[in-house]
Amino acid sequence: MTLWLPLLLPLFGALVMLAFKNPRTAVRVALGIGVTEAALLGNCVVKLRAAGVLQEGRYLRGDGLTSFFLINLTLVFALVLAYSVGYLRHVPKGRFSSPRWFYALVFLFLFTMLAVYLSANLGMMWIAIEATTLASALLVGFYNTQGAVEAGWKYLIVCTVGIAFALFGTIALYLAAVRGGVPAEMALDWAVLMDAAPQMSAARELLKLAFVFVAVGYGTKIGFVPMHSWLPDAHAEAPSPISALLSAALLNCALYALLRVEAITSRAIGHGFSHTLLLAFGGLSVLTAAFLMIVQRDLKRLLAYSSIEHMGIVALGVGLGGTLGLYGALLHAFNHSLAKTLLFFTTGNIREAFGTLRMDRIRGMARALPYTSAVLVAGGLAVAGMPPFGLFVSEFIILTSAFTQARYLVATLILAAISIAFGARLYHCQRMLSGEAKQLSARPKAPISEIAAMCVCGACLLVLGLCIPAAFTAVLRNAMAVLQ
Amino acid sequence: MGLVEFAAAKTLASSAVFLFITVLLMAAAKRTSTCIMLFGVQCAVITAQILAAAFVYHSREAYVVAAMVFVVKVLAIPYALLGIRKRLNVPGGVSASTTPAQSVYIAAGLILLAFLVVQPYVRALALDGEMLAAATAVLLTGAFLMVSRKKALMQVIGLLVLENGIFLAALTTTFGMPLVIEMGIFFDLLICVLLLGVFVFRIRDTFEHVDVSKLRRLRG
Repeated sequence: MTLWLPLLLPLFGALVMLAFKNPRTAVRVALGIGVTEAALLGNCVVKLRAAGVLQEGRYLRGDGLTSFFLINLTLVFALVLAYSVGYLRHVPKGRFSSPRWFYALVFLFLFTMLAVYLSANLGMMWIAIEATTLASALLVGFYNTQGAVEAGWKYLIVCTVGIAFALFGTIALYLAAVRGGVPAEMALDWAVLMDAAPQMSAARELLKLAFVFVAVGYGTKIGFVPMHSWLPDAHAEAPSPISALLSAALLNCALYALLRVEAITSRAIGHGFSHTLLLAFGGLSVLTAAFLMIVQRDLKRLLAYSSIEHMGIVALGVGLGGTLGLYGALLHAFNHSLAKTLLFFTTGNIREAFGTLRMDRIRGMARALPYTSAVLVAGGLAVAGMPPFGLFVSEFIILTSAFTQARYLVATLILAAISIAFGARLYHCQRMLSGEAKQLSARPKAPISEIAAMCVCGACLLVLGLCIPAAFTAVLRNAMAVLQ
Repeated sequence: MGLVEFAAAKTLASSAVFLFITVLLMAAAKRTSTCIMLFGVQCAVITAQILAAAFVYHSREAYVVAAMVFVVKVLAIPYALLGIRKRLNVPGGVSASTTPAQSVYIAAGLILLAFLVVQPYVRALALDGEMLAAATAVLLTGAFLMVSRKKALMQVIGLLVLENGIFLAALTTTFGMPLVIEMGIFFDLLICVLLLGVFVFRIRDTFEHVDVSKLRRLRG
């Protein structure tokens, strides 16, 4: 029940939410379910740490890697839930834009992401990832404006096609496993595949084909260039808490699926091929995103491109491989999700004050919104990889790994991209902060829940930047042990 | 040889040809409704193929899969799509960026390409070359329909055809995935079509057209 309960509670919660028409009650019920869910997930992580591996029935399984990503998801989800309480005042009244629909869809989204992490079977995992797209498409289009509808449509079409390629890859992997002598009904379980990987090495070409398709498919969801076209639109048009969930939880979810398949392929045919492919995707994403950040006009689009850049850095870390590279990559994925959550939270305030997120129309923010500006600058420094924040540590580890392996091209690429992105962010930020604000459409009073959520984000980033707790290092080690 | 065995063998031998025909006709179709019908026909061919395979290999799971394909893809999805098309109340053309003749040539080229790309795998893994080529051709044509047709509904059909190709590839290479997985995939597909339907209506209501090539507000 340790795995079943936290998986099914959000699904149940989604159904229950629809019964509460009164906005206030709906918010309270959602918070109640959210707290219970966080407790259940915490229990799940603790049990996983004690047992190492948990299997429930044929379809649920968790291990060190699951536990690491579960911690990430729980943290981000709890923060988003706390933040959303105050945020819902921004949402205009409409047929489906009431709190009960919002929370029902959010819980459904959480359910699908948990299903990705907890499924023992690569086929189930694929189904769950496709379901994350379906559950979040309506959230992306939540405002029902022209932009939101266009973004939702693009998101649905691009991701479904991308994910379809991942299905093709999964089938090829299944075929390779069956030909390698794994019984057909077990040939999709990742635990079985990890053990049986050496037997599959005969089907070398087939495994390569499988990995290419899976990388393209799940890479679409991670936001690798050139399959990234949905990402900036969806992040920019969704409500801010949802942007945070997309950037901080969903991208990592797809990353998890890719890591599982990568581990199996690497064990079967050596990591040369998969690592080269990841380096290529990572390098392309990092560079393209950094340049595109210069020309952005919308603050949330800027943040979205920064997500692409950081997922590229994570891909480079995994592609470099070795203990150091993988450690840096996992840590970076975690840090990035915290920093992006913090930044997307600030955009909600800015939109309320200025009535827009177009950066050329925002002036004099430093005077008008001193606290929000401070958080924006701190978050901006964090994603740029400045000390004392966590991203500095993880980027430094990945760079160290590149230098020790004498991969100077990769190291140069990372450094160049980080510098360009930093310059772009600085340029946009100073233009927004300086000058005199013309007139504010509202003077936002951030509720205590929003401030608390932002403080927790910032505190976690600082802790991870100054001294990583021993317990967390142990979790990371367990996660890496699964992949190597 | 009994009549049923004969029919099953014939179906298995000829379904690739029928799939090629549906692909070419879809490329030539000028109206959205024709395309929807052709999609139904394509799925009917696939149903027949699964039934034949189920009979030849005595697989009970395959009968279930055939029933699901028939209910979901031959009946439910085309019915829903035709309903959406009717309620949308917009002109019925597909708004192609290529003429029907060009489209047919392109589709034929894609079929040739499909035969070429599957050769190495067919030899290495001893698979049915024609069927795998048909699967690849269906997949490629689906992608082609998606990029060359401007109507929102045609993109949905392109997506479905592409998914059919992947389904066929799974069928010919591994004789289908485990039943539970297949059911999950069908469920996802059904929800996806429903959601796309919701979005088609939203596009019409907010933009007052359904031409997705004009959705160009968000760029860069």
